[in-house]
Amino acid sequence: MAKCFALMGWSLPVIESMQKLNKPYVVVSFPDFEGYAKENNIPFVSYQFDEWSDTSNSLDLYEKLKPFEVDVAVPLFEETVEWAGALNSIYRGDPRVLNRAFLFRNKAMMKRKALIGGLRVGLFEEVYNKEGVKNFMKRLNQANLQIDGEQDSWVHIKPFASAGTVGHRLLRSMQDIEDKCQESDFPCLAESHLPGTEFSCEAFIHGGKIRFLNITEYVKLGYSNFIPEGHHLNSKRDKIMKEMQKLVDLFGIEYGMIHPEWFLTENDELSFGEVACRIPGGHILELAAKAYDFDALGAFVLCHDPNLTEEELKEILPPLDARPKNFYGNVMIYPHKNVINKLEIPEELKEESYFLDHNLIPPYTNQKINSREGFGNHFGTVNFKGEDPDRMKELLLHYENVDFYH
Amino acid sequence: MHNQVLTDNTYQKFEELLQDFSQATALTRPEKAQKMMGQIDLLIDTTEGLDFIFQNIGGLSKAGIFDGSPWADPSKLVASLVNGTLKSGHPNSTIEILSELRLLAIANGKIKIKGCSSDDAENFIQEVIVANLEFVFNEPLEETRLVMSDHELKKVHTLFKFISEKTKLDNVKEKLVEELTLICEQRPVVTEKQRKIIALVKEKIELDPTVDLDSRLLKFQRCIYRPTIKTVNTNYQEYKISLKKLSKEQLEEESIAMSKSMLSFGLVSQYHPVLILFLIENGHKNLVPFCLGLTEAGTARWREYEKFISTLILKTIHPFNAQCIYGLAKMLESGIFSREAVRSGLANMLTVTIHPEVEERILKSTKTPHEKVSALQYLMGALFRVLGQPLGVGQGNNPTCQSARGISMWSQHAPAKLINMVQTAATYNDLTFRFEAQEIKASEVGLGLVQNLDHNLDAVSVTLVPMLDKIYNEMMLNASGRAEDPHKWVNPALYGQWIQIGFASAYDYLFNAIVDFDGFIKVFYAMCHPKYNGGHRLIYPNPVGIFITSSKGDMLGFHAISLLRVDKDPKGKYRAYFLNPNNEGRQDWGQNIKPSVYGNGEIYGESSLPLHEFAARIYAFHYNNLEATDKMDNVPDEEVQKIRKLARESWGRAYTWLETKKIW
Repeated sequence: MAKCFALMGWSLPVIESMQKLNKPYVVVSFPDFEGYAKENNIPFVSYQFDEWSDTSNSLDLYEKLKPFEVDVAVPLFEETVEWAGALNSIYRGDPRVLNRAFLFRNKAMMKRKALIGGLRVGLFEEVYNKEGVKNFMKRLNQANLQIDGEQDSWVHIKPFASAGTVGHRLLRSMQDIEDKCQESDFPCLAESHLPGTEFSCEAFIHGGKIRFLNITEYVKLGYSNFIPEGHHLNSKRDKIMKEMQKLVDLFGIEYGMIHPEWFLTENDELSFGEVACRIPGGHILELAAKAYDFDALGAFVLCHDPNLTEEELKEILPPLDARPKNFYGNVMIYPHKNVINKLEIPEELKEESYFLDHNLIPPYTNQKINSREGFGNHFGTVNFKGEDPDRMKELLLHYENVDFYH
Repeated sequence: MHNQVLTDNTYQKFEELLQDFSQATALTRPEKAQKMMGQIDLLIDTTEGLDFIFQNIGGLSKAGIFDGSPWADPSKLVASLVNGTLKSGHPNSTIEILSELRLLAIANGKIKIKGCSSDDAENFIQEVIVANLEFVFNEPLEETRLVMSDHELKKVHTLFKFISEKTKLDNVKEKLVEELTLICEQRPVVTEKQRKIIALVKEKIELDPTVDLDSRLLKFQRCIYRPTIKTVNTNYQEYKISLKKLSKEQLEEESIAMSKSMLSFGLVSQYHPVLILFLIENGHKNLVPFCLGLTEAGTARWREYEKFISTLILKTIHPFNAQCIYGLAKMLESGIFSREAVRSGLANMLTVTIHPEVEERILKSTKTPHEKVSALQYLMGALFRVLGQPLGVGQGNNPTCQSARGISMWSQHAPAKLINMVQTAATYNDLTFRFEAQEIKASEVGLGLVQNLDHNLDAVSVTLVPMLDKIYNEMMLNASGRAEDPHKWVNPALYGQWIQIGFASAYDYLFNAIVDFDGFIKVFYAMCHPKYNGGHRLIYPNPVGIFITSSKGDMLGFHAISLLRVDKDPKGKYRAYFLNPNNEGRQDWGQNIKPSVYGNGEIYGESSLPLHEFAARIYAFHYNNLEATDKMDNVPDEEVQKIRKLARESWGRAYTWLETKKIW
């Protein structure tokens, strides 16, 4: 049993879970949260994560955490993955733990590792400017035997180390590269477009083995997903499980949770997209918690503890073969207009038997909508619950296009 | 109204959210509360949903939904703030509604909270009701309509319906008298609102005739429930039998008493039709003028067209179609019957077959349709009211001020045309208009401004407005893109050729700014101010566009009214007398500009303002361009500057102002 968990990053729901589970913890986050932590008796160490210097580094943080007897560090956000990796290297006496953390933080390195290990990946390359992307697209077009007048092959560019969809651009043509790419995008990873149904896995790992696997079906990236996976994906579960264990072995993950994204083609081939090891976006763990009726955030933290016993594992995780009766899905709502004044919940939603709840915030008068960065700033989420995954998919697709803001 | 059936699912979802909320620690409470409030927001726009939340209010309060908010301590709430909070939308309006439900529960002894006794809670709720009569009677002010969504309005109205049924209303008497006076002094064509208040008072408040305030409320009540001594403790059927025993002298007395009751507030009781039909059917036609309370001129007209009008009465009036008697009396007074075209039109109306869709709208607009009264009868009755009370025409809760203004104008100046329009619309559910040598047919053009007509209107309006609205909108589309306000061309085409050719607008489309406001005001004064226009009176109503401003003077939107006349009020001050189709008596346009509806020389249905205050809200009007430009130099600069200041510091803040001089 861990003596104390260092929660790397500020998350109230995680803190609440730790309190309810009655586990020792300390929160490490930016000084901004110190006041709130003090008021609410939350053990807290303030740290400037975005500073890296002689006085701000993992050894210094290690010293600061000593009084709390921390022996496990848990990364909650993308930006704290290396910090947690560095601390855990010290706690476990294994320098490779830090290297693994870097693997999660560099998408090019991550892909190379996957390729070496025999996972199917798209064509990818590090690019440093627009010319680089154009050359990449050209080579891809050649490989795809493009004939004059045919469409260009689609290319995605992603920053090496950003969460989810932040900075992710889809480029459909040479002109797109010209129009959409910014100087500040580079250097970054360029990769070919992977066809197929996109889904993510949340694998809770202990002792290098997957102890629980959640599959999240993406209805539309950045907009909607549901849990557990629908019938078709479910029928591929064994295959997915096999590929997942391959990934775990390959990356040498021993403790914690990984959240990779995969593509399943019509020919039942799985392609690896990317993988993260922090709390996934899109309220995925919230949905998983409801669908499987377990404390997903608590389990996320506890799995990082090498000393967790089999009993404790069993208690906190659902059985490996669990298949819930109810599907939980959500759709993130973005305004469709540039200036909004009102929030209106459509009547059809109120009458929808799958509709569960929403947390949409009314706008202030004449609120102007800034252009979106990634899929970051949605106005809230609408949640659904029901027994038929096909109906769920239909609803999520439908509400993505309904105007809630006028 | 949408009738949501509360399923088990709804209850279960609420229970789940409440449980989530109760179990959350202080850390995630705000987030859970937000979700639960979202759910409550959706539930409380129906009475069932609101009642469900009311049943759970103790639990919600205990779970801490009010904790850490300004609503935490019920003894520290301020009743006068409630109205503003309700208008500010979810989540504020939702928690405000929960707070009222909690007070109601305290008042009813359902729950107990330290520091707030059941009497305290009761008093608070009464204060809230007084300050929110617009919601109690679902007659939101123009400002409210502009800022609240339909869902929010429904929520708030549902709340007030709910709490006014569950509370005593003794402390709100004074406010109710004021409210009733404000409404009745305007003699509106639709009398549902005042009837609702009067019925509510009758049902909920014990009145003592020896107390002044009570006796004033009783006067309103008697107009409807016992207009004469002989109607006391008698229903209208029994009253009919009792009339047979009366002598001629007694019938005359009864007629005088009946009309006196009607004229006091413009409200007609169910006994009145019984009496007037009895008089006509039993050879007492000479008593009808007493029964209608006619002057000598009115009586003379009755005598002239006695036979024709008797037929109209017999075919139209019924105890369930009573209110039109007042309109008929006013028609006799105004002399409208002397026009051959009007008599022909009315005679034609009696023969039409009403289109089923129009019939449906008419019956929907009738609060208590009676099987013995046909849609045509209701339509005829409404026509009497509109023709007799042109300034009583209102738009209801619809954004159709243009159409209401038109109906009022035609009723005054082209009544036969109006009757003919009603006849066409009622028969074919369609209308055609001419616009610049083109025909515009309502059934062939796109949507109008209103998609869901609020049927709280008179039968003439529900017949015409859906089509007028579409035609108006189509005319606006045709006239747009001309770099000037389309109303310049649409107003004359819609309302008629009496609209002046000259059109002044403070807003300039090319510059997207207010240009030469001083010149604009000078033209306005030269058009209507007797001191500067050569001592002339206005002849026809002038369709004027005004800025609607909030009580803080903030720009809210645009509105259409008619300027009827400019005259000295009883104190010798020049005032603008105008028709505001939204029939509001309690308007506050900010900067202490508050239109009045009585007491300042208004005739029934007029609103008025000191002329310079009125001028400070206008943005467009028509004028005689051959005439006004000569006279605009007479208008003194200091008067213009006074108006300019008011305008700039209110709606003017929303615009750029340019001082380029224009040629008017």
